[in-house]
Amino acid sequence: MDELTRLEKTTEVFVGPEGLEAPAKTFVPGPYYVAIDEVIPELGNIPEEVAGDKKSFKSWIPDVDRRDFMRLFSASAMFGAASCVRRPEEKAIPYVNQPIDHVPGVAVHYATTCNECAAGCGVIVKTREGRPVKLEGSARHPLSQGGMCALGQASIQGLYHPERQKTPLIRYGKRQDPADWSSVYQKIAEKVGDSTKIGILTGGSTGFQQQFFKAVLKKLGASENNLYTWESNSLYTAIGKAHELAFGQEGLPRIEFRKTNLVVSLGSDFLELGTSPTFHAKTFTKALSYINGKMGQLVQFEATYSLTGTKASKRVVIPPGYEFTVALLLLRSLLAAEGVRGEARDKEQAKQILAQVEGELAVAEKALSFSRHDFDALAKDMLAQNAVILAGSSASFDENSTKLQLVTILLNLLTGAYGSSLLFDRGWMTQPVKIGDMERFLTEAENLDVLFVIDTNPIFSCPPSWGVKEKLEKVKTVVSVQAFPNEVDDLAKFSLPGYHYLEAWGDEQPFAGFWSLRQPAVRATTDCRQAEDVLLWVLAHLNKPFGFPDYRAYLEEQYKSVFKQTGMQADYKKFYKAILRQGFVIKLDKRTQAPLAVIATHVSYKAPTPGLKLLSPLDHRLQDGRGAHLPVLQDIGDGMTTIAWDSWLAIHPDTATKLHIKRNQLVELTTEAGTIKVAAFPLPGIHPDALIVPRGNGHKGGSKISGGVGVDPLVVYPKAKDELSASPKTSDISVKITPTNEWYRLAAMQKHNDIANRTDIVKKITLSEAASNLKKQQNLDVVPDLYPKLEDSIYRWGLSIDLNRCNGCGACMVACAIENNVVQAGREQIIMGREMHWIRLDRYFFGDVNNPDVTFQPVMCQHCNHAPCEPVCPVFATSHDPEGLNAMTYNRCVGTRYCANACPYKVRRFNWWHHKWGEIGERLQDRNLRALNPDVTVRTKGVMEKCSFCVGRLRDAKHTAKEQKRYVFDGEVQTACQQTCPSDAISFGNLNKATSKVSAERASHRAYLLLGGEPEHGHYGLKTLPNVSYLAEVKHTLKEAGSHSGQHEEKNAHHPG
Amino acid sequence: MEEKVGWDKSVSDVNDGILIAVDKPHPTYYLALTIAFICMVIFFTSWGILVTYGMGLTGLNSPVYWGVCITNFVFWVGIGHAGTLISAILFLFRAKWRNSINRSAEAMTVFAVITAGLFPLIHVGRIWYAPYWMAPLPTTSNLWVNFRSPLVWDIFAISTYLTVSLLFWYMGLVPDIASMRDRVRGFKRLIFNVLSFGWVGTLRQWHHYEAGYGFLAALATPLVLSVHSIVSWDFAMALQPGWHTTIFPPYFVAGAILSGCAMVYVIVLPLRRMLQLEGFIRHEHLDALLRLTLLTSTIVAYAYSIEFFVAWYSGNEYEWAIFRKRAAGPYCFYFWTMVFCNCIFPLAFWSKKVRNNETWAFIICLLVNVGMWFERYNIVLSSLVEDFLPGSWGHYEPELIEITLTLGSFGWFFTWLLIFCRFFPIVSMSELKLIMPKPVRNHHHHG
Repeated sequence: MDELTRLEKTTEVFVGPEGLEAPAKTFVPGPYYVAIDEVIPELGNIPEEVAGDKKSFKSWIPDVDRRDFMRLFSASAMFGAASCVRRPEEKAIPYVNQPIDHVPGVAVHYATTCNECAAGCGVIVKTREGRPVKLEGSARHPLSQGGMCALGQASIQGLYHPERQKTPLIRYGKRQDPADWSSVYQKIAEKVGDSTKIGILTGGSTGFQQQFFKAVLKKLGASENNLYTWESNSLYTAIGKAHELAFGQEGLPRIEFRKTNLVVSLGSDFLELGTSPTFHAKTFTKALSYINGKMGQLVQFEATYSLTGTKASKRVVIPPGYEFTVALLLLRSLLAAEGVRGEARDKEQAKQILAQVEGELAVAEKALSFSRHDFDALAKDMLAQNAVILAGSSASFDENSTKLQLVTILLNLLTGAYGSSLLFDRGWMTQPVKIGDMERFLTEAENLDVLFVIDTNPIFSCPPSWGVKEKLEKVKTVVSVQAFPNEVDDLAKFSLPGYHYLEAWGDEQPFAGFWSLRQPAVRATTDCRQAEDVLLWVLAHLNKPFGFPDYRAYLEEQYKSVFKQTGMQADYKKFYKAILRQGFVIKLDKRTQAPLAVIATHVSYKAPTPGLKLLSPLDHRLQDGRGAHLPVLQDIGDGMTTIAWDSWLAIHPDTATKLHIKRNQLVELTTEAGTIKVAAFPLPGIHPDALIVPRGNGHKGGSKISGGVGVDPLVVYPKAKDELSASPKTSDISVKITPTNEWYRLAAMQKHNDIANRTDIVKKITLSEAASNLKKQQNLDVVPDLYPKLEDSIYRWGLSIDLNRCNGCGACMVACAIENNVVQAGREQIIMGREMHWIRLDRYFFGDVNNPDVTFQPVMCQHCNHAPCEPVCPVFATSHDPEGLNAMTYNRCVGTRYCANACPYKVRRFNWWHHKWGEIGERLQDRNLRALNPDVTVRTKGVMEKCSFCVGRLRDAKHTAKEQKRYVFDGEVQTACQQTCPSDAISFGNLNKATSKVSAERASHRAYLLLGGEPEHGHYGLKTLPNVSYLAEVKHTLKEAGSHSGQHEEKNAHHPG
Repeated sequence: MEEKVGWDKSVSDVNDGILIAVDKPHPTYYLALTIAFICMVIFFTSWGILVTYGMGLTGLNSPVYWGVCITNFVFWVGIGHAGTLISAILFLFRAKWRNSINRSAEAMTVFAVITAGLFPLIHVGRIWYAPYWMAPLPTTSNLWVNFRSPLVWDIFAISTYLTVSLLFWYMGLVPDIASMRDRVRGFKRLIFNVLSFGWVGTLRQWHHYEAGYGFLAALATPLVLSVHSIVSWDFAMALQPGWHTTIFPPYFVAGAILSGCAMVYVIVLPLRRMLQLEGFIRHEHLDALLRLTLLTSTIVAYAYSIEFFVAWYSGNEYEWAIFRKRAAGPYCFYFWTMVFCNCIFPLAFWSKKVRNNETWAFIICLLVNVGMWFERYNIVLSSLVEDFLPGSWGHYEPELIEITLTLGSFGWFFTWLLIFCRFFPIVSMSELKLIMPKPVRNHHHHG
């Protein structure tokens, strides 16, 4: 009982003798990011190769008096420490007695690490009065580099989700009874007893968590192998397995986009999903997007139309399942090309592989529109441009997936990508899951007495034909610890509320030699426990002392090894506190990349069978369903189809016509494993043989947000796997498709998909045109009109959007909704056309229906200087600000909606209802009042609202600047959409300052105003003079703006001069 | 120009003939009043529900922020036009046929404008603030209404129009109220005496009356043109393609007169039956009304075609796209309803036979009103549904509450009109006497 008594006493440990962190000013006189270098200089030294934005905060600070800056922030920094101190009795409620030193209204920031997927991006949590209100990508964190994906942005809704389990539940048959934690521990301890057949099933993680679980299992007398990991993003297992086979070394190569000028993607969706989407989007954009007359190339072979595909300079539509074929054909051409790199042994292997597959390959080759000649040309290009080849989408997984990765390794060796654009010998990516764990689990599960299922949901994310549920039912006792209740809780004996990652301790090690810490930003909002601590309590009840009072202490201990590895000179305590502030520490590992082992024996090939194939990629927002309970993700809609709150069957328009299937018609997809009924959505650009039903939705019960929304395509997948990595097959299966007579209306936000031959909405230029006009400047604000000159002001806020960069991921929409308390409208309202997004993504198809170009255009309030909305408001509810903002006075609005009619951009949103915070139509809405951003007014029924350029942030920055007797720096204030954008497509700043980034972009020859006509031809369009400008999309070649739908036959109307 | 009116009654029949009907209307009157009252109840119930639950009950959305309510507003303002036109402009032109129908036209004007005035209030999101904040009341915070907004102009235009119409209408009523006073005793007499300002019909009073009436007519005349011009600016001042045109003011005025004339016919015909006024409102008067309808119909047809021409001729792709969609887009049904009802069907009025056939004329006038309603619906809807950015194009279908509000507004309008008929003469007795034949003494004093 020794350990138990100690644990009980350690409720004090939560406070500790010194608290969690010493008062900030004793060692760090500023918020986490300002002075970290001063504490331990080495901490600031991020290796250049993984460094994020080079323009760190410091770069714009020099012209401020440092002391002023410190003084201003010291109060908030102190609270950064103080409010992290946890006192178990205290609830997260508003302050009744204001803590001394606290400045209400001043935000406190924490650095932590996202836990929504296995990537491990750095997050800065903004807390107000002790509550997290907004998440932002950490600017210095090499993975996020300031950006954050939609799922990460939305995860704060998970923290405040009203359906989070409030107390532990113990199941008695069908009944679930609430219990208190001590009896839960006691009962679990009884179940465990002397048994050694204990297992832990958990999601992918790269930090010390798995090591901890193994140690716990060991302590329990169970085998370390009883730790099973599961991640439905099977790219990790495929790439990992292939590299294990090829080099005998662990890990995944890290992609270094700036060392290449050509990316060849074989069905890869690295920009929106992949292994580390934000990191890839950030680095890809920096390296290969158009800049200064240069632009890299992305050649995309795919059967679906991924968001990555929209950024391709050349996109080749291939039949489903042909990625492997393309890889082999590419190998053939590459091998034959002049100047091919790689060792002679590697080439021998390549030859051997080609010899093995020759016959079948010749058959399959015929199905491709890309001829041998094209492949040869591409191979030549690849060698000239130091191409890197990326293969495989994150969840469309078939029996060839690992073989595809093996061939891809060969391809990358032959182009010489390893060591330059693919790093496997220095700071390689760590493997979050153990390969083949799911299969192992299924064979071993029956023998387990107690199984802890921690933050993973294989019942939903693994195809039902694999029988995870049945196996779990056979386990004697299932203890489920989940941040959000899921299907596992429906059968678990003990259903325990776990910590949301914003409440938890933890860490990730995304690269070898790169540690990213997770610390709580708020005390637990329900009566929940950290899963690791639950295990410790159980151990304590079994009288098997583990040696650590809680996981936090364990973690702190483990970081001693990290400390040693980094070789820093400061003392450990100081080091640990400092890296908690910064959120991460780097000392990249190095190793020698082993020579290529014999892989040819693993590569066998059979030509894919023809016919309609079902593909089920992850939804880029909801992933494998882990985001489905977050209403904001459901509400922003899918990027390509704009469908919200649903699943759909994407089908090629011609195939749909052939099968007599119309949009919104329900069709049945049948295999021997099952049948699903899903509404059809004809989508141009996918292969005619591809039937795409995304994963993520289709939860049967559980959350009121996700329950009953959409269908789960995995139901129809028979049990099959990729032999090498033993991952379930979730792609390329033949299905029987039967149209029904039923109809179901999909809530697609965009009703019209082409540009209707309009010329001043989306502008595109060719690369050569862009390069030749590089020096050309323009002034979009010189427009002949009769209006008086704009008022002089120090600031004129402006925003610039680079269409070349936007890939439609939707992170901006989520960030905006969270920042500005934008309500989620729900499916019914979206069908009516009443979405509330302040920023929306218009998606336009250009050209041929078989392979159109796609352009995403983020549209928010354009903040026109001659705003059509302003003069028409009878009560001055919308008026012009001297700083160029088109301001809304919500209190004054009477709701004539004239402004919205007058707005040519249709960016205004009206509150049709009294949106109760807690409901969407009949669905619960997961924004309770605590989650609201206190800086932004909540709008009521009958009031118009719209993008405000995040005026609250502007005010903040201006106040700070004023107190410091200076002006706002360029880059000091970021809008929520800009801040989160993983592609850096948005710039914001002062247009009255010629040196600001946004001024430079507005003066670029690429800049244009939405509906601004063609100024170079003397046609100025609507002359609304927006403060938002767009940068024309740069394409290697332009496609004709054809009308694929055939509805809009407007000829290219000519503007009279 | 004017045809000779075949009177079968004379001046001496006027007071008796008209006022007896006022006291004892035909039973159908009560039926009509009941139906109108029920519709009015529906109207206010719907409004109450709308205020309680919010504008979400309508079919409005983004991008179609205005729909049936604004259509109704413009429709009723348009109806309110013909009254003053017939009373004031035709008075100034000394068109004698107006005397038999001007009272009903004026009454229609007043009630139609009141009905119209309700719709902007119905459609705002926060009615509990709108009337107060949209009124130009002086405030200490210097926060005034936005005088650049056409909606503010609307408030001035419509309130002015309503005031002048009311005055004009009431002034015409004064001699008739005096006639009524002379027929009753007791308390009623006192009331009528007050209402008629002690009118006794002296020459001096008639002299002032005539001068004042003429003055008000002159004052009202420009208002006929201004009100609907200003209403049209609600649209023309926005940048929307299909709205942002200079043709709107005259086009709207012409349309308003067309709908107003047709509406007068639709109202007068049944009232003439109910209140036994066949002897006073002769078919020649109605015929003149129909000819005016025909004239305005051709003006409207011209406006439609010139609008199309300008849209094409301007070379503005957005404008032209809207017009082509009106004629051949998803909402073309409304457009063609409008064209047929407003331009094609009234062509039948070239035929005297049709003009004399009350059933056919009534049906066509009814269709003109339907057409005029759809004209406004077409304007409001088609420019909003698919405007500049294809990405934000939408759709719109009215919801039940918008239909009940529309139906209910007719109830509200007719309730007032019918109540008015029950208490005051719907034909201006004093003015009728000016155009009716003198009684032939022989007939009265035979023997």
